[in-house]
Amino acid sequence: MPDGAKPVLDVRGLQTVFRTRGGDVHAVNSVSFHLKPGELLGVVGESGSGKSVTMMSLIGLLPMPPAEVRAGEVLLGDVDILKITPEQLRDVRGRRIGFVFQDPMTSLNPVFTVGNQVMEPLLRHMNMDKKQAFARAVELMELVGIPDATRRMKDYPHQFSGGMRQRVMIAIALACDPEVLIADEPTTALDVTIQAQIIELVKDLRTKLGMAIVWITHDLGVIAGIADRVMVMYGGQVVEQAPVKELFANPQHPYTRALLKTIPSVSGQREARLKVIEGQPPILGAAPTACPFKPRCGHAFDRCGNENPQRRALGADPVGYGHDVACHWDARTGGPV
Amino acid sequence: MLDAKPAKPLVTVKDLKMYFPIHTGLFRRHTGDVKAVDGLSFTIFEGETLGLVGESGCGKSTVGRALLRLYELTSGSVTIDGDDIATLSSEELRLKRPAMQMVFQDPQASLNPRMTVAAIIGEPLDEHTDWNAEKKLARVYELMDAVGLNRAFANRYPHAFSGGQRQRIGIARALALNPKFIVCDEPIAALDVSIQAQVVNLLEDLQEKMGLTYLFISHDLSMVRHIADRVAVMYLGRIAELSPREPLYADPLHPYAKALLSAVPDPDPETEGKRQRIILQGDVPSPSNPPKGCNFCTRCPEVIPICREVKPELAEVRPGRFVACHLVTPDNQKAAPGSTGGPEATEHNQQGEPKK
Repeated sequence: MPDGAKPVLDVRGLQTVFRTRGGDVHAVNSVSFHLKPGELLGVVGESGSGKSVTMMSLIGLLPMPPAEVRAGEVLLGDVDILKITPEQLRDVRGRRIGFVFQDPMTSLNPVFTVGNQVMEPLLRHMNMDKKQAFARAVELMELVGIPDATRRMKDYPHQFSGGMRQRVMIAIALACDPEVLIADEPTTALDVTIQAQIIELVKDLRTKLGMAIVWITHDLGVIAGIADRVMVMYGGQVVEQAPVKELFANPQHPYTRALLKTIPSVSGQREARLKVIEGQPPILGAAPTACPFKPRCGHAFDRCGNENPQRRALGADPVGYGHDVACHWDARTGGPV
Repeated sequence: MLDAKPAKPLVTVKDLKMYFPIHTGLFRRHTGDVKAVDGLSFTIFEGETLGLVGESGCGKSTVGRALLRLYELTSGSVTIDGDDIATLSSEELRLKRPAMQMVFQDPQASLNPRMTVAAIIGEPLDEHTDWNAEKKLARVYELMDAVGLNRAFANRYPHAFSGGQRQRIGIARALALNPKFIVCDEPIAALDVSIQAQVVNLLEDLQEKMGLTYLFISHDLSMVRHIADRVAVMYLGRIAELSPREPLYADPLHPYAKALLSAVPDPDPETEGKRQRIILQGDVPSPSNPPKGCNFCTRCPEVIPICREVKPELAEVRPGRFVACHLVTPDNQKAAPGSTGGPEATEHNQQGEPKK
C-alpha cells in the first residue's frame, strides 16, 4: 500500500438505498474511500449528493427502514462495522468515531446541562466515575476554548451562542479520544468570523491530538484551507478524488471544473459574469446506468449515456491514493479516454 | 463603473432607527429595546447595487424590511424616489408599493403553496391594475420568459419546482409592476452553489435590461463582491464601513471589515496556506445591551481607550469611502498615509475631539 500507513477507516463499495413509496432512491452508489491516520479528508458536494448519507450509513445513524445499506464494507481497524451487532456498534460510536453535526442548535439536548452532555460519553464508554468524568469534561471544555469552563458546565445549551455550542459538540465528539472524527458541515450554520474560530480550533486540535478527520462541506473555500485530500461527490457517487492542491490546480472531472468556476472569490480577479452549471442536480431514482452528470455536462458523448464511468487513477497510484476521476472524458487530451 | 453614471440618489436613508421593545414581568412593562438598527444613513444611487453585508443578528435584514416599511420605523426617514415613506399614509404607501419590491430569502416560505405560479406572479397585478384576465396572463407569460421559466408550467404549484426555480418565481413576482427598487434579502442563501450563480446572473441581466436598483443583502462576501457596486458592512445595528467594491476588498479600513474579509475562506489552497487571518475573539454582543462607545470595541484587535467612551461617527475618510472608526482619519489629516493603528492615529483623534 502506498505511504506505508494502514488506513484507520476503509470504506469499500458502500451502497445505501432509501425505500420509499415512489420506489427506491439510490442515495449512495458504491462509494469507496479511506482515511489515513492523522489525515483530514474533505468531502465536497451539493445537497443531495450523498455526502451526509454516506457518513451516516457507515456508523448506522440512518433510520432503517426506510434506509438500507445494501452492499459494502466499512473497516475500522480490522473490524467491519457494518457486520457487528447494534450493541457493539454503540461502543464504536462516540468511543472510536466521534461525530459533529451541522446544527449545534438542535444536536444538543435542551433539557440537560452542557456538563451533563459532555460527561455522558465518558460515563458510558470510559468507565469513569462522576468525579473523574467531571474533571475530564472541564478539561475538554477548556481544550475547545470555552472560557470559565467549570462554571459553564452547569449551564444549559440555550445559554451558549452558536459558536460556543459547536465547541461543546466538538468537546463531546473528542471526549473518548476517537480515532476518527466525522464533522458534517460543522461551520455551515455559523457566521464567517465564528467559522474562522472553529476552523482554527480544529487545525490546532489536529496537531495536538493527531486524529483523522472527515470534514463534509459544500464550501470549497473551507476545504482549500483545511483539507489534505478532497473527495468530490455528485449524484451519490465519488466523481473525483485528489490531494487538495492537485484538485484545485488540476481538476479533471467536468463537474469539479465547473464548480470551481462558479464560485466567486474575495481576492484575485473579479469575473464580469459568473460561470453557471446549467440544469438541476439529478433525482436519484433507479440504480444509475449512465453518468449522473451527463445532462449538465458540456463534454458528454454517447458512452456517458450508456455506461456509468468507474473511477480511474490518473497516475501510478491506485484509485484512492493519488488523483482519480470517474469520467469517460479525458481533460488532459480533451477527448474520450 | 460608478463614475460613469449620473449619481442620482434613488433611496436616501437618514438616521434610520428600528428598535424592538422588550416587555418583561407580570405587567409586561417596557424595560428595554433590541436596537436592531441604530442610526443608519446612506444613499443608494439609481441603477446601482448596494451590497449590505454582516453577520447574523447585525440588523441587515431589518434594514431591508424597514426600507420598504414592512416595519413601522422607530425614527429616521427613508426617501425613495422623492417620497418619505416613513410618513406616508397607508393608502399613499399602497400606491407607492409598485415602485419598491422585495425578493425574500426562503423561496419555500415566501410562495403560497395553494396558488399556481400564474396566480402568484399575477397577484400584484390583481392588486394594482384594472387589467382584464387576458392582459394579465400575457404579462405573466412575459415575466416568466424574462426570468427563464417555461410558460407551460404556469398552472403548476410551487412544490413542483426546485429551489432555484422557486426563487425565479419570487423574482418574477417582484418584477410584475415594473419596480425601480428591489430589496433582495439573502436571495441565494438557501440555494446550492451551482444554482446560486444562475440566480445572480439572472439578477444582473434584469438590472441591465430594466435599469433596476438593488439593495443586495447577504452574508456571502464573495458573492457580494461579484454583484455589488458599493458595499456597506454592518456590525450590531450600525454601518462600520461603506465603500466602493474594489477599494473595500483590496484595502478594508475599518478593523471589523478587515477581520470579516480575512475570515472568508478563499477557494485556493495556495493562497489559503499563506493568508494571515485576523481571528476575532468572542461573540457579537447583544443588541439589547450594546457596549458603550464603539459597538465593536469588545472584539476589536486595535481598540484604544477612546473607543470605549465615544461612539465614532460614520465619516468620509477617502473620496466615496465612509468609515466609523476612531483609528481611521481622513487622508489630509494623516501624518503617515497608509497606517491606521498606533499612537499617531490616537493623536489625531484627540486633536479632532474639540471640533465636535
